[in-house]
Amino acid sequence: MNSTPTVFLTDDDPAIRDAVELLLRTNELAVETFASAVDFLESDAVQRPGCLLLDVRMPGMSGLDLQKRLQEIGCRTPIIFMTGHGDVPMAIRAMKAGAFDFVEKPFQAQALLSRIHEALALNARERRRQARRNDVATRLALLSPREREVMERVAAGQYNKVIAAELGISISTVEIHRKRVMEKLQAASLSDLIQMLALVDGD
Amino acid sequence: MNFSTSIAPPWLARLFRDHSAALLSLLYIAVGLIWLLIDDLALTVWMSGAAPALPSALKNAVVIIASGGLLYGLLRIHIRTTQRARQAQQESEERLLRARDDLETRVQERMAELLAMNRALEQQMAAHIQMEIALRDSEERFRQLAEHIREVFWVYGIAEERLLYVSPAYEDIWGRPLQGFHDRPLDWLEAVHPDDQPRIYAAHIDKHRLGHLNEEYRIVRPDGTIRWIWDRGFPVRDETGYVYRIAGLAEDITARKLAEDQLRRQQADLARMSRLSLAVELASNLAHELNQPLAAIVAYTQAGLTLLRQGRTDPRELMETFEEVVNQGLRAGEIIRHVRALVQRHAALQAPLDINALLHAVIHYAELELRQARIDLRLELAESLPKALAGNLQIQLVALYLIRNALEAMQEVPEESRQLTVRTQLSDRDWVLVTIHDTGHGLSPEATKRLFQPFFTTKPGGMGLGLPVSRSIIEGQGGQLWATPNPEGGVSFCFTLPVYCPRSVL
Repeated sequence: MNSTPTVFLTDDDPAIRDAVELLLRTNELAVETFASAVDFLESDAVQRPGCLLLDVRMPGMSGLDLQKRLQEIGCRTPIIFMTGHGDVPMAIRAMKAGAFDFVEKPFQAQALLSRIHEALALNARERRRQARRNDVATRLALLSPREREVMERVAAGQYNKVIAAELGISISTVEIHRKRVMEKLQAASLSDLIQMLALVDGD
Repeated sequence: MNFSTSIAPPWLARLFRDHSAALLSLLYIAVGLIWLLIDDLALTVWMSGAAPALPSALKNAVVIIASGGLLYGLLRIHIRTTQRARQAQQESEERLLRARDDLETRVQERMAELLAMNRALEQQMAAHIQMEIALRDSEERFRQLAEHIREVFWVYGIAEERLLYVSPAYEDIWGRPLQGFHDRPLDWLEAVHPDDQPRIYAAHIDKHRLGHLNEEYRIVRPDGTIRWIWDRGFPVRDETGYVYRIAGLAEDITARKLAEDQLRRQQADLARMSRLSLAVELASNLAHELNQPLAAIVAYTQAGLTLLRQGRTDPRELMETFEEVVNQGLRAGEIIRHVRALVQRHAALQAPLDINALLHAVIHYAELELRQARIDLRLELAESLPKALAGNLQIQLVALYLIRNALEAMQEVPEESRQLTVRTQLSDRDWVLVTIHDTGHGLSPEATKRLFQPFFTTKPGGMGLGLPVSRSIIEGQGGQLWATPNPEGGVSFCFTLPVYCPRSVL
């Protein structure tokens, strides 16, 4: 799968697709075009890094419909809407539904490009965060139930002595569990561990 | 005790009173001693004397009689004194009893008097209560009516020049306490919406003279909400037929008013939608359709500029880009041609038109806007105006557009000088002339020059298409549309339409 951040341009008007694709390519951006919302949905672009440059008004599935559909399937690719004359109410709806931004046709190249770069950066950040989150989740799955209990108490700031008393085990056993937790999670310090847990909790 | 006061010295009397029992005992002891003494004495006399023959029995009898007599005497004295004391006590007791009886009879007499009075009072009271009950019954009926109806019931005294009664619904509807009337008799008027106040104050003054009131007005409640009131008053006459009171009902008609407004707005919206849909759809489609090639042209050109800026001057690449720009420009032209054809097709539907009726219809459905704009509307429609030959829908559209235009032009001027005149007349026998005359802000020379150019507008948010489209519609009907500034300010928009002439059809 191509992992280059890409601008996914979706517009039913071939002239717009062609012109905007050319504009973006000449500005060193990777572009893929789709003639309809369904085409985009059915492609692997949904999972790839990038941003979506989406016409708000299209026959069949509209830009707003696609935005809703993407949210339903958990796709977090940022969307920049392209709106025509008199589409301001639609643009407002799109923004309220969590669109990254909207640009009015015809648009200034510079404004569009800077918004695209911001959207790509946001997507990259989110993807890194997501990857780290997945990573932590995988490592957490390695813990035994007992180790998990010990970890939760350690993260809550309890002393080994207290943990030992609560779980009815010796302090040295707690220390062994604790060491193994840090190893399995590849946590260098307690604060590292807490950060990892916070990342997963955010889900 | 008589004895103590008359015979005995005071100390003896005191002694007697305080220690009579002890004295009595002493007396007995003394008598006993005397008896023994006499016994002894008699015995001695007897022994030394002459009558030894006298038997001792006799001697004893003498002694007993002597001492017994003494004892008897003493007892009598004692009994008499105690009897006297008891008598005195009885007498004083009797006096007391008499006094008490006296008092009792007097009390009873007084009591009887009081009871009688009380009975009289009770009777009076009963009569009063009965009257009151009767009164309360009628008052109750009145109150039930007055206090439970949702309308405010009021009674105004003409001579008193104030409200004599206001039912509690006032507090609900006006949201102001009834006590307010104590200090400010015109409490209800203070709440009237500032826009309605002069009119309602005048009506309030007039009602003294007329005895009638029938007004609708708005009130502003303390919480800032506005309610619509329908207030009616009716004269109440005395026996001589003189109007001395006005009784009235103030009803909250907000819900009805809102529903009416809503309905009117919906009707207006509907009418506007159906009648303007053509123009709106055309304009919005045109805008959207033109936007696409425009956006493409801008993007192509910017891509070309980027290439040039990067020094990538491959002629083939640039040529392709500019060819696309040309294509998109042609596409835009095609769209405009298509729209023009659409407008011209609609112009074909011409029919004889009663322009006066048409203007009435337009004003009728713009009524809400006119009312909200607070404009003094004058109709100067020529009688027996010949029919014009034109497309009904298009002319309505133009008339409505020009009227709206006039309303917008007058938004900034003070309410009292907002005047809209709609005039029709026959011009040169062959033309029906319609004039929409406003007292708005007028036009600058620059604006007058560019008025009919497409996309020229002085309105924020305006497209600048209304006047050019209106002119093309009127010209399409064979007439003319122009604007002239009024000498006294504002603008007159005039348009002509050809008079319908049956012969020309034949």
